[in-house]
Amino acid sequence: MSESSSSLNSSERRSFLGKLTGMIAAAIAAFLGVVAGRFTLSPAFQKPDEEGSWQIVGPVEEIPEHVPTKQSIVVSQPAGWGRFNSQQLLWVVRDDSNLKVFSATCPHLGCTVNVAASGFVCPCHGSAWDANGQRVGGPALRGLDTLNTRIEDGILKVEYQHFKQGIATKEVVS
Amino acid sequence: MWKKLYLWLDERTGIETLIRKLNDEPIRGGARWAYVFGSTLLGLLAVQTFTGIFLTLYYAPTSDHAHSSVTYIQKAVAGGSILRGLHYYGASAILILVALHFIQTYLYGAYKGKRELQWNSGLVMFFLLLGFVFTGYLLPWTQEAYFGTKVGTSVLSEIPGIGPPLRRIILGGNETTTLTLSRFFTFHVWGLAVLFIFFIIFHLALFRRRGPAGPYHRHDDSRIESFYPRQAFRDAVVFLAVFVLLVILAYKIPAELGPQADPTSDYLARPPWYFLPLFELLKYFSGKLTLIPAVVLPGLILLVLVVLPFWDKKEERHPAYRPVAVLFLLLGIFGFSGLLGLSKYQDWSNRDFRAKIEKQRQDEKVFLAASFQPEEIGRTIAIPVPTLPAAPNVRDPILKIYFANCANCHGRDATGGQLGPSLIRLASTHHLSRDFLVRYIGGHSRDTSADMMPRFTQLSLEQRQDLAQWLMRLKSPEQLKEHEKTTSTSKPSAPPAKHRTVQKPEVEVTPAPTEPPPAFRQTCAFCHGNDAAGNIGPSLVGITDKPDRTPADLLKILEDSRSYGLKDPMPAGFPKLTDEEKKAIVDWLSKLK
Repeated sequence: MSESSSSLNSSERRSFLGKLTGMIAAAIAAFLGVVAGRFTLSPAFQKPDEEGSWQIVGPVEEIPEHVPTKQSIVVSQPAGWGRFNSQQLLWVVRDDSNLKVFSATCPHLGCTVNVAASGFVCPCHGSAWDANGQRVGGPALRGLDTLNTRIEDGILKVEYQHFKQGIATKEVVS
Repeated sequence: MWKKLYLWLDERTGIETLIRKLNDEPIRGGARWAYVFGSTLLGLLAVQTFTGIFLTLYYAPTSDHAHSSVTYIQKAVAGGSILRGLHYYGASAILILVALHFIQTYLYGAYKGKRELQWNSGLVMFFLLLGFVFTGYLLPWTQEAYFGTKVGTSVLSEIPGIGPPLRRIILGGNETTTLTLSRFFTFHVWGLAVLFIFFIIFHLALFRRRGPAGPYHRHDDSRIESFYPRQAFRDAVVFLAVFVLLVILAYKIPAELGPQADPTSDYLARPPWYFLPLFELLKYFSGKLTLIPAVVLPGLILLVLVVLPFWDKKEERHPAYRPVAVLFLLLGIFGFSGLLGLSKYQDWSNRDFRAKIEKQRQDEKVFLAASFQPEEIGRTIAIPVPTLPAAPNVRDPILKIYFANCANCHGRDATGGQLGPSLIRLASTHHLSRDFLVRYIGGHSRDTSADMMPRFTQLSLEQRQDLAQWLMRLKSPEQLKEHEKTTSTSKPSAPPAKHRTVQKPEVEVTPAPTEPPPAFRQTCAFCHGNDAAGNIGPSLVGITDKPDRTPADLLKILEDSRSYGLKDPMPAGFPKLTDEEKKAIVDWLSKLK
């Protein structure tokens, strides 16, 4: 091809090849961008596992009546490649027909609430509650946090949740 | 609109000039398909960097989590198997393209004409690439990765003198451990990468300075073409083809991922294909002779390649007139593929190896096909809230210490309890020294976590030494039982039901000999219970039997509970008690057994 044959043709060809090259680069970049974008966002928009938040406490029959019983459960936090387990404590109060489960975490600042002669008391700052978990004194601003329960085939299950501390209302920490 | 933005940008950055400079690189003799390898390599390296950065989003470089995290990427994360597949196959593709780039440069004699540094920087990059594939190979912490690295690094120790220390430096110790993994990860994503970027810039800058060598003949010298668009287009087409091939591979044949490394297994390690010829060559030499394939031969080849551009300065670049050069290249190619083939053939023809490799491959397939199971971290079964029996009344001072401090976890007969292991023959079984036990009980040099033994700092050094001495001699549970039988008092009766908290249902306490003093009721009972059997605070029954809890100590604690270094000290309100009241409390407590 001589220089003078057609400068128009040559520049047309030039821009056509240039556009094709650009399109190839754009296509590869777009493909990688989409794959990497989905990869990055994958755990951010995963639906929480509804069933996974229910933990087994034990057979209801084995829980003593009329006295608060301290129970331990394992709560799992699924995070990608691992399930990070931690042990949490509960107080179960079982009367004839009534069953209540309190989180043993103090709604004041998160110490472990203990049982006392007439209800519950927090050893850290002396907040006290009656046997129904109603606040009777101390710096805590609300009653003990009740947990959702359900009984399946005689097995008590609770939905363990963390609640915001230091406020008067019970709000789930999401 | 775009044009305006572009002009705005150009005025400020001079981007137009930069692009022109990049695009208008003159190529003597015009664009050719033979020149595509360098650009394709650059593109693949960019893909490798991109995918690598994203893979670190989920990867955990420790030996206990690496495999789970890679499995998670491969099986559970959206697009994970594609990104990992691109990275995995990309590594092989880069090595193949490096070989092609090398062959093209070598055959065309493109290293001639004052291009010694450019050629040698390429060689350095080749070795950096080998470093990349070698370090990257270990990261998934699979059987293959672990044993492959083990074999690979053991070759190093064959080098006399610097070999063994070099190996230890690379491994971060004498074995392939989690430290090795951390190091390899850091080399892979930081050390090598930074060096590599530096050398790419160097290599390209020199390339632009000397310009492309062009064809090995002078027929087309009249034609000079710029890089853009025809060469750029060719480069883009080949890069696209390679990229599409990698994507297809990543989709159709997921990157290999076998079960987690088990250092105790007898895995038959085989290096990846690019190291296989060297591995094969090593088989034919033993003892000191392994130096020949491991060091001498690669060293010689390297030396020849390094000096080649300094030494071969003849103008002639046409391969047809450089028979020796071509012969060496052919020798290299045939040698590499011959050894590769031979290695594969030997594994195939050896019945045992073949069966073992086949089984390992089957295991890998099964593992890869299985659904992802997250790793369990921490205990999965709740430890029941412990129920603590009261200590028996013994006279032996050591047993006193034992029952007050150890028995609740390690059991009353020291054969192990709900929380602690058996202590019988503990020292002899685990070869523990007395000094170790003394330190361990005191908690020095030991982290405490929820799962571990607490620090018994309240025990004095002598007490710990005595306890350790006794533990060294503890051979049978009878050593405790006999004492218990002869010295324990009659079984104490249970406290009244209304005081029994379920938290400690088995606390068995003798009723207090006398009623507690009023001061105890008012001040202490809130935490320690009306009968001192414990509530929020610990049980005080038999407290004076515990070390450092004599009545005098108790008085001191009532003055200032922090004086004895209690972990959870009592409230600081006791100085309000009068001395008589304190004495009454302590007197009553010391009678409480």
